[in-house]
Amino acid sequence: MRAQKLAGLLFLLALMAAWELTARAELINPLIVPRLSRILGVFWDLVSSGQIPMQILVSMKRAASGYLLAAAVFIPLGILMGLSERIHRALEVIVEMLRPLPPPVMIPVALLFFGLEDEMKIFVIFFSCAWPMLLNTIDGVRNLDWVLLNTARTFRLSRAGTIWRIILPAASPQIMTGLRVSLPIMLILVVISEMVGSTDGIGYFILDAQRRFRVAQMYAGMLALAILGYALNQLFNLLHRRLLPWHWGMMTRRDEG
Amino acid sequence: MGGAKTFNWAGWSSLILLLLAWELGARSTAALQVYLPPISEVIGASGQLFIAGQLGDHALVTLERFFAGYLIASGIGVSVGIGLGYFRSLHNLVGIVIEFLRPMPSVAIIPVAILMLGIGDSMIVAVTVYATVWPILINTIDGVRHIDSTLVDTGRTFGLSRWRILWQIILPGASPYIVTGLRIALAIALILVTTAEMVAGSKGLGFFILDEERSMNSSNMYAGVVIVAALGYALNRLFLALESRVMRWRHGMVARETA
Repeated sequence: MRAQKLAGLLFLLALMAAWELTARAELINPLIVPRLSRILGVFWDLVSSGQIPMQILVSMKRAASGYLLAAAVFIPLGILMGLSERIHRALEVIVEMLRPLPPPVMIPVALLFFGLEDEMKIFVIFFSCAWPMLLNTIDGVRNLDWVLLNTARTFRLSRAGTIWRIILPAASPQIMTGLRVSLPIMLILVVISEMVGSTDGIGYFILDAQRRFRVAQMYAGMLALAILGYALNQLFNLLHRRLLPWHWGMMTRRDEG
Repeated sequence: MGGAKTFNWAGWSSLILLLLAWELGARSTAALQVYLPPISEVIGASGQLFIAGQLGDHALVTLERFFAGYLIASGIGVSVGIGLGYFRSLHNLVGIVIEFLRPMPSVAIIPVAILMLGIGDSMIVAVTVYATVWPILINTIDGVRHIDSTLVDTGRTFGLSRWRILWQIILPGASPYIVTGLRIALAIALILVTTAEMVAGSKGLGFFILDEERSMNSSNMYAGVVIVAALGYALNRLFLALESRVMRWRHGMVARETA
């Protein structure tokens, strides 16, 4: 395992060295691909001056608002639709009509309603995270073991008690899947909506740097996004392990096997 | 899609109720009409745009870019995925590079593509290929790895050539995973094409929708949104139809195993 990681790391370093050398030799246009060392230098400057952290903070506020709002609306709705066949049938057609819509197409609609404000991005993220959250929650509730529900009934658990203590824990792995799938969607949509209609945020920062031909800044912004994506994923894993330790254990053991 | 047997009355009536509420709400409040024109006007606008041929032109451009990007990405994703899945040492080498590139939201590549390729078809297709390759690649690698190694060993024992092992054992064995990757990629490709058209385009449905929004033609904008939704739906259906044809052998097998 160690040696394999080492080989990969060496390959990565070799790639980086190749990049640096070809850029230094000006084999590629330095206006398109600058030296790697320059990009890293600019990245460091932008991080230490607080410019990149500032933009990321702006983006993350929007992203988190949309994401959490979607979770607050669509997980309860999913539980409801999973439990009641009637509600499910009543809403099914509307959901199936809206779902195939590629989320970026909602950006102009949101622009029309909210202009360049934060609400525009929040709405777009809310809309695009809705479907994975909703459908996974419905699935989770529907695949519930009926013995559990009957047991709850036998013990005369109240409706709220049943939902809180039986249904939610049993459906939580699938709900977690919905939340996990939504995470990269959230990040993609905040970047797109900032590219199309914004005056700040990391998506705007990257596109603006390209338009002003500040190419090193553009690459630095992309590097920041990659780190952000990685960090978000790690954070989610941490939460998953904390909230559902039994399920996390099951998942990782299966992966190893 | 549970209502295959009986017509979902409740579902369709709630959709019609929603559309009616839209129509009446928009008609009764003038202030709302700027944002939300009555649905009848949206339908009228779609009809006019279609007759004028405008919407059809934009849709065609978007579809061409979509298919170009999707097919190239499928070719790259499946072939590279098989290579990386089969040769462990190769995967060990580039695995870290993949892990490094993957968490970056794919749309961040758009500015780089504009810089390298300018504004136009090749940029949009390139961006689509980049983003669409990932799910196909990752799923193909997974698929090849999940093949029972006894199968490959049996093939070798019988002296099958490398090509026949590839075509008759690895590809069919990995195909359920590959199909999953291709299906996920479908939605991603459409997202990337429309996004790239919004950020830097002068044609295509993404451009059209954003352009109509900027000139405050909200009926036309909604008409564009409806067309994209219909396109997404149709592409998904087409994929499912193709899948059930190509993968028929497998459905039979699974049914037999579970029976």
